[in-house]
Amino acid sequence: MLIDAHQAFAKTSDESACEELIGRVQQGDQAAFAQLYAQHNRRVYALCLRLLADRHYAEDVTQEVFVQLWYKISQFKGQSKFTTWLHSVTSNIAISYLRKHKHWLQKVVSIEKSGMDETSITLCKGLNGLDKLVLRLPERARLVFVLHAVEGYRHEEISTMLGMAIGSSKSQYHRARKLLQEWYENE
Amino acid sequence: MSKPEFDHFIERSLAQPSEIQPEKDLWPGIEHAIGKPITDQKPHNIWPKVSGVAACFIVALVTWQAVMVQPKHDAMASMTHFFDQQKQTLLVQYEQQPALVTGWQIQLQELENAELAIKQALENDPQNAALLKMLAQVYQQQLDLINKVHTPRWQQI
Repeated sequence: MLIDAHQAFAKTSDESACEELIGRVQQGDQAAFAQLYAQHNRRVYALCLRLLADRHYAEDVTQEVFVQLWYKISQFKGQSKFTTWLHSVTSNIAISYLRKHKHWLQKVVSIEKSGMDETSITLCKGLNGLDKLVLRLPERARLVFVLHAVEGYRHEEISTMLGMAIGSSKSQYHRARKLLQEWYENE
Repeated sequence: MSKPEFDHFIERSLAQPSEIQPEKDLWPGIEHAIGKPITDQKPHNIWPKVSGVAACFIVALVTWQAVMVQPKHDAMASMTHFFDQQKQTLLVQYEQQPALVTGWQIQLQELENAELAIKQALENDPQNAALLKMLAQVYQQQLDLINKVHTPRWQQI
């Protein structure tokens, strides 16, 4: 009970420190923004890497997320947790980036982009076992898996975000799980 | 030791902290971008953008002329000649201006590879309108990319 109370106090104290920091950023304090970046950049980068399966794209989008955050942080009104809002902003920017950078050949013949190759995955540092498998997934299956299983979006929300039918989102999720299981068991 | 069940593996992995350290320090690029308000453009910075947009427009015009109006002439050569000039001009213009994103050269390299592949196909079929349009599109994308990474327009959240 004492531990619970201690944890609850620590959580409240963390949240109020975060609110205070965001308040300073909203006032245009760049030092506070640097602190906010230091606290959240690893989370944002991890999400970008999982969605984009490309280290360079993930770096570009992480930068873009924080630049937009600086200009748009006044839109954060505190109705949800800051990390939840930041994840939603990151997901939207990453999906939009993928659409814009779709390879010309993919646009012409509508082929699906395959996942990251084994060599590139080996070069990425700090990946856990699941990340290594997720990055190998083909694009649509990967996006749906990350948004649903990792980020907790419902298939209805994913269908809107990715412009696909709800049924397609569900089938891509099952496809992803099947591939992941196959790779996991054969490793 | 045997492997845990797949479901257990997924559950355990998703419960782990979800953080990965970027390999590059991304802060300097962000700091550079937020240090200068987007609306606070100095007059001399406008010209690369204006000429970049003009270059893209002219490439589209030259392409239209090459593909639709002068199909019997060497469309690929005239388009390529014009594009090369525009690309070099843009690269020189932006030489002193650091790009605000990293990794754009890799994207440019991909587009250049696509350009080479289309040119090879055109050698066997020089009047193929679909290939010429594709080449023009790749040229356009290269110019757009060079412009975009030097004068970004941040998207809406």
